Amino acid sequence: MRAWLRRLVFFGSVVLVNIAASYWLYDLFTRMGMHRAHVLLLAVFFILNGLLVLGSFHALFGAWDILWGKKRAVRITKLAEEAGDGPLTRRYAVVMPVYNEDCVRFCARIEAIYRSIEATGQLDSYDFFILSDTRDLDLWVLEETAWTNLCRKLGGFGKIYYRRRKKNANRKAGNIGDFVRTWGGGYEAMVVLDADSLMDGGDILKMTRVMEAYPNLGILQTPPKLIRGSSIFTRLQQFAMRLYGPLFIRGLNWWQLGGGSYWGHNALIRVKPFSDFCELPDLPGREPFGGKILSHDFVEAALMVSEGWEVWLAWDIEGTYEEAPPTLIDHLKRDRRWCQGNLQHMWLVFARKLPLTVRAHLFMGIMAYLGSPLWFLFLIFGTWVAWDREASGLSNLPYDGTPVDRWLHIDGNTQSLILTGAIFLLLFSPKILALTGAILVPRVRRSFGGFFPLVTGVFLETVLSMLLAPCVMVAHTLMVSGIVLGHAVGWGSQNREADGTGWAEAFTVHAPPTFLGIAWGVLAWHISPTFAAWMAPITLGLVLCIPVSVLTSRARYGKALARHKILSTPEELNPPAVMLLADVAHAAVDPALDATAPGRYGVIAAVVDPYVNGVHVSLLEPADLSGSEEAIVERCLTMGPSAMSKDEMVDLMYLAPAMLALHRAVWLRPSEGIHATWTQAVESYRRRLDAGAVEDLV
Amino acid sequence: MGLPHHPLETLRPLSEAELSEWEEAYAAVEAYLQALRLRNRLLVAELVRAILWRASARGTKEPGVPARVLAMEETLTEIARWTQEVLDEPLEHNRLAARGRLALLLADMPGKWQGVFLTPHPWPPPFTDAMRKSYLAAGPQFANLTMVPKPLELNIIGSGAAQWWETMDRRPIVRKMFAIFLLALIGAILWFIFFE
Repeated sequence: MRAWLRRLVFFGSVVLVNIAASYWLYDLFTRMGMHRAHVLLLAVFFILNGLLVLGSFHALFGAWDILWGKKRAVRITKLAEEAGDGPLTRRYAVVMPVYNEDCVRFCARIEAIYRSIEATGQLDSYDFFILSDTRDLDLWVLEETAWTNLCRKLGGFGKIYYRRRKKNANRKAGNIGDFVRTWGGGYEAMVVLDADSLMDGGDILKMTRVMEAYPNLGILQTPPKLIRGSSIFTRLQQFAMRLYGPLFIRGLNWWQLGGGSYWGHNALIRVKPFSDFCELPDLPGREPFGGKILSHDFVEAALMVSEGWEVWLAWDIEGTYEEAPPTLIDHLKRDRRWCQGNLQHMWLVFARKLPLTVRAHLFMGIMAYLGSPLWFLFLIFGTWVAWDREASGLSNLPYDGTPVDRWLHIDGNTQSLILTGAIFLLLFSPKILALTGAILVPRVRRSFGGFFPLVTGVFLETVLSMLLAPCVMVAHTLMVSGIVLGHAVGWGSQNREADGTGWAEAFTVHAPPTFLGIAWGVLAWHISPTFAAWMAPITLGLVLCIPVSVLTSRARYGKALARHKILSTPEELNPPAVMLLADVAHAAVDPALDATAPGRYGVIAAVVDPYVNGVHVSLLEPADLSGSEEAIVERCLTMGPSAMSKDEMVDLMYLAPAMLALHRAVWLRPSEGIHATWTQAVESYRRRLDAGAVEDLV
Repeated sequence: MGLPHHPLETLRPLSEAELSEWEEAYAAVEAYLQALRLRNRLLVAELVRAILWRASARGTKEPGVPARVLAMEETLTEIARWTQEVLDEPLEHNRLAARGRLALLLADMPGKWQGVFLTPHPWPPPFTDAMRKSYLAAGPQFANLTMVPKPLELNIIGSGAAQWWETMDRRPIVRKMFAIFLLALIGAILWFIFFE
């Protein structure tokens, strides 16, 4: 089927079903006696129901495509096979932008990908880049040592590179842009990763072959699977994405075809068109709505597609993974950033020359966050109407003879129940379809741990998602309100550890929805017990959001479920080779070059340790020390690093002669002449022999 | 190993202050060698003793310079001189020390070649090869591309909104008046719908 026809069928179905549902509700309102607030309710319902239908139809069309369109669907794996198995003709880069991340963990992922590509025999065609925007000075030193160790162990010098930007202008987009400007000319395409990304080397090779075979292909995006979740919250997300995700992915691919989107990582991007068209313009005005574009990925894909390049979704690429925030609070922190970025896309809706698919992606991204305040408004209007109706003492269904009544001869209660049933069907049909498919296909059923764990997982996921949804709705509403009021967001690093949320933190963050839930519940009960029952799924979720947030953040409960294979995914039960490689990867850790020892951590090690200092200085540009800089060095020696401002320390750490002078001085000078931090760090090397523990040499 | 030209008979009595000063020098040199991850205690002891003898000899010519300073200067100078000999490449003085230490690390001196450390020529060819091939490159040869942002082309609604938005950004009074107008409008609509 032609692309335009597919899009017409898909969006046409969505619009038709939405119009039908909205008309049904209009008819119901007419029966009840039209209230002016019903106009607002109808308007909001039209948008909300449209979003619901849009989401559900992705799953429906995905299911249809899986069942009937299997042979015709374009498979990247098949295209790669057709491209042959000869040597690659161009050079490719694997780039991982990092920002204040755990360097041992991201280096383990690089190591796993490196070894995985090495196993394909095509390693010579790839270079690896760690693109650091890290601002924490200790972590900077740790990154340098981890990278050096990685290269030493893998023989990766001249193959794995590390670059730290002095100024992290324009965040991640600026980081990638800096790479493209500096080294992009040497590569045909780049695999863009996140710090928590993991990709199978064989799949990277397949994508590369397809990129070589299809010269008009600009971006090849893979659908990453969530892995390594230990808290209940993360396990919920990874289970849901793994079970229901393929339906949505196939549905999305069914209509978007070559007009796809880019999700920021786990994608292969052709460098030249990226450099030609994807430097992001500033938006009108200042942040939060204007200024630098935060959610750069959607826009980069939009610019690429609008210039005639194709953006594909590699739906059948299996070996593509990422990790998720471990707690609800971490998830909401990330959402705050994404929310602002997506709302900025409103400007692009009014941009010229953008194809329909691009506008559809931008619209869906915006509505992912605007949907929450709309839902909130819908509930408020609904409560207001219920209050008004109850106060008026009027009958709920005073009028028959509407078109629905005339055509179908059903009473108002039945009409209301049919609409409710349809909404629930739309809400749950993706889950029902995915669960049915998984149960019926033995291979899939076994991969999720069997029938019982699968069904229990879906039940638990459904219940907890329903409890979490109102809290997320209020949080998103507050985010959108904050952004509308002009509060811009900073750039925080992500917490990828599942250490759990404390009760105090949960209370601080979730107090507004909790109090709102209590107040709303009381009000609903005051209006009528029936209305309170209708509102219970919302009010219950709000009232319980503190305990739900805390309990779902606990890794021990997640692990307890994992022991019974509940909320388990195929990757957890049967880890793929690249995950196993990442599990045992430890090349970045070597006691011979270590900046994590007690008493000489990070910056201290860069000054005191002969090797850490040697590595750090070797990565700096040659320079001379001015008089004022000598004074700063002296102050750092006598007063210690804690007495220096961060800017002063940054300046020192970028000055090779300053770092050499510091190293020399801390070893040369008697303890009276320098700060205790340095003396203790120097002394720390002797403790082993003094303690007689020679075997513990560090 | 050992220094046969410094037999025990040449030792002289030392004062408590001298002992303490040389103890500190000994500790510093030993710590530095351990920081270089030399694991063999005999080797460390021999190197420390040799360096301290040199420092002591210098001390007689430079009275007043603390023993620790003399000893550590000897240590750092000797390591830099020796690594330059092994590397056999001209280096600016201020880069030499870092380059030498980096080469020791990358050639895995602590793991494979600690017995060669600070010994005179000839050195095992695999060691010199490893030292000379060692380098750190943060990136490959530059291969520049240009990335120039193209201004966003907005349609008529977008351009109008952009102009209005930028005006509000520039003039807070306009922004405030607009916000008040918007709130009043919303209030009026709600009042009309629910109460009128």
